[in-house]
Amino acid sequence: MNILTPRPNPIVAALYTLRDLDVDVAVLHGPSGCGFRAARLLEEDGMKVVTTSMSEEDLIFGASDKLIEVLHEVDELFSPKTIGVVGSCVSMIIGENVKKAIIDSGLKDKAFFVEIHGCMGANTRGAIETLKAAMEFGLIDENEFKRQEKMLLLATEVESNNGMAKSKYTRPSRGTELKIVADHIVNLLKENKKIAVILNAKKETAYLFADIPLAINLASKKLGGSVINVGNLSTDVGLLRIKRYAEDIKNNFQSNCISIDYLSGGMDEYPIAGKNAIEYLKDKDFDLLVAVGIPQALPIINKESIAVTNGPREVHPLEDRGYKYVTVEIASHSTVMGTREIVLSELGEAIRNAAGIQ
Amino acid sequence: MKQIAIYGKGGIGKSSISSNLSVNLASEGFEVLLIGCDPKSDSTINLFGGRRIDTVLDLYKKDITDPDKLIFEGYNGVKGVEVGGPAAGVGCAGRGILVALKTLHKDYYLEKGFDIIIYDVPGDVVCGGFAGPAREGYADEIYIVTSGEYLSVYAANNIAKGLFNLKVKMGGIIGNMRGIPNEEEKIKSYSEEIGSQLINAVERNPKIYESEIEGKTVLEKYPDDPLNLKFKDIGNKIIKNKEAKVPNPTTDEKIRSIIGGLY
Ligand SMILES: Nc1ncnc2c1ncn2[C@@H]1O[C@H](COP(=O)(O)OP(=O)(O)OP(=O)(O)O)[C@@H](O)[C@H]1O
Ligand code: SF4
Ligand SMILES: [Mg+2]
Repeated sequence: MNILTPRPNPIVAALYTLRDLDVDVAVLHGPSGCGFRAARLLEEDGMKVVTTSMSEEDLIFGASDKLIEVLHEVDELFSPKTIGVVGSCVSMIIGENVKKAIIDSGLKDKAFFVEIHGCMGANTRGAIETLKAAMEFGLIDENEFKRQEKMLLLATEVESNNGMAKSKYTRPSRGTELKIVADHIVNLLKENKKIAVILNAKKETAYLFADIPLAINLASKKLGGSVINVGNLSTDVGLLRIKRYAEDIKNNFQSNCISIDYLSGGMDEYPIAGKNAIEYLKDKDFDLLVAVGIPQALPIINKESIAVTNGPREVHPLEDRGYKYVTVEIASHSTVMGTREIVLSELGEAIRNAAGIQ
Repeated sequence: MKQIAIYGKGGIGKSSISSNLSVNLASEGFEVLLIGCDPKSDSTINLFGGRRIDTVLDLYKKDITDPDKLIFEGYNGVKGVEVGGPAAGVGCAGRGILVALKTLHKDYYLEKGFDIIIYDVPGDVVCGGFAGPAREGYADEIYIVTSGEYLSVYAANNIAKGLFNLKVKMGGIIGNMRGIPNEEEKIKSYSEEIGSQLINAVERNPKIYESEIEGKTVLEKYPDDPLNLKFKDIGNKIIKNKEAKVPNPTTDEKIRSIIGGLY
């Protein structure tokens, strides 16, 4: 099926993965505008992103010299330990010999090439190619590569079975108004009901999504009811950086006296952690499930449920899966970059308001 | 004004025919512009005594896009342009052709009063860029150069397939013979097979490459050679040709039977 909905791009996924790997500088060998929105966000997160700014002239004559020059400039400006060079549609179509350019630049001990462009299928392909290149360069070992590759392939499956890659065209939507959702949650707590919250978040988005369980727990402490907390916050697996996210969020919970009842997996294990979470809750007693982050990776359960996503195009597919309410945290990506603490979410704020918490 | 593009198998003689055609038409009083679309820039070399003119893309790199500076006057007043392009093995020559054709615009040609513009296109049409001269707004009709050899006709048929797909008109086939038996008949019967016509066929003649060694066309080196009459005939037929139509490419088996059947 040819899907008409624009969706995340493998080039951008490659940039994000370089950030996860704590690479210092990403050099995008392509047009100056390629991936620029992601570049801005990633710079806020500490990784430098530069472009070779290929021009019409470069398309015709090739731009290996320019790439070498940019590599030298980057080396001088930022004194990086590692540099990831990412391909683009244009440099790959014209067959730029990036590996040779890296060797010719004399920086082959610092720089490695991620051979990717925009027309290579799902965005996860960009992440997989980056990890493979990082493995060959010696940043991660083969076991870690295999584990992550498996997760990424499962993530692709989740999107095509349950997410926005499921149908030909998916309309974006904001879902249910936040106040309606917040009131519903708060009213249940007032009635002394039991709420299970599953945080199934992808990497840094957890800093935002974790605010929702946080708000629900605070509301419950004030108003009554009880909460079962499940989260993919294990610090046993994943890259250093990703484990650090989980550590930060756990510390935040701890300082608010919130305990996590079950760790459903690591932060890059969202494609399988949802399943673990539901398995854990199978014989628990609760009245409402609130799933935040990547709810599309959760099996369907026969309980009243609310889903919180960050993708307006995930709303309709989630509604199809039987959620009573689906709502969107719109600003997720711009607010979490560079943070080490849970940031305020819109739904979290609405819950606090409804519960009368300052 | 008529614009034509010359296609055909690599090395079959497109550039030799284009340049010899151009100078002979010029000697009959026509205003001719020859545009070489090959990154190796060898289409117009015989108009300039073996000198390589600055290419559109080299000048483009230096921000020179004024058409007056892209066109050079060669032997017999024929105007020559070389598109140019990247060195072998780097960049994208197809993109280069598209950009160069955009840089040279059609209104300018009309203003200059050319009678005929000839695009000499390299070898096979390997990507969209090489089909550029055949697109709307450029060549009105295409001529395919072929010998009677199987692989040359096969390549011609492949080009005809491209023209069929793009719904581009073909003016006819120009034979450039290699000296195999019944060659002209073979080319002629293939031309008719695809609903086109044989304009004329040039025999294999050492004067062509002898002139080339000195950076000349046959007309310049051997002005009185009857070969020039052949080129004049081809040129005049092209200028007068009103029969251009989209070809109907044939099958491989049919090509083999035409060529194999005529011994
Ligand atoms: N009729 C002929 N008799 C003798 N030699 C010929 C004849 N036609 C072409 N040649 C020679 O064949 C060689 C190739 O010709 P030419 O460069 O014109 O081919 P082309 O089709 O333009 O090639 P390309 O596809 O590389 O552009 C040249 O050296 C030329 O002199
Ligand atoms: S087409 Fe490809 S190279 Fe161009 S901006 Fe888009 S993703 Fe980047
Ligand atoms: Mg040629």
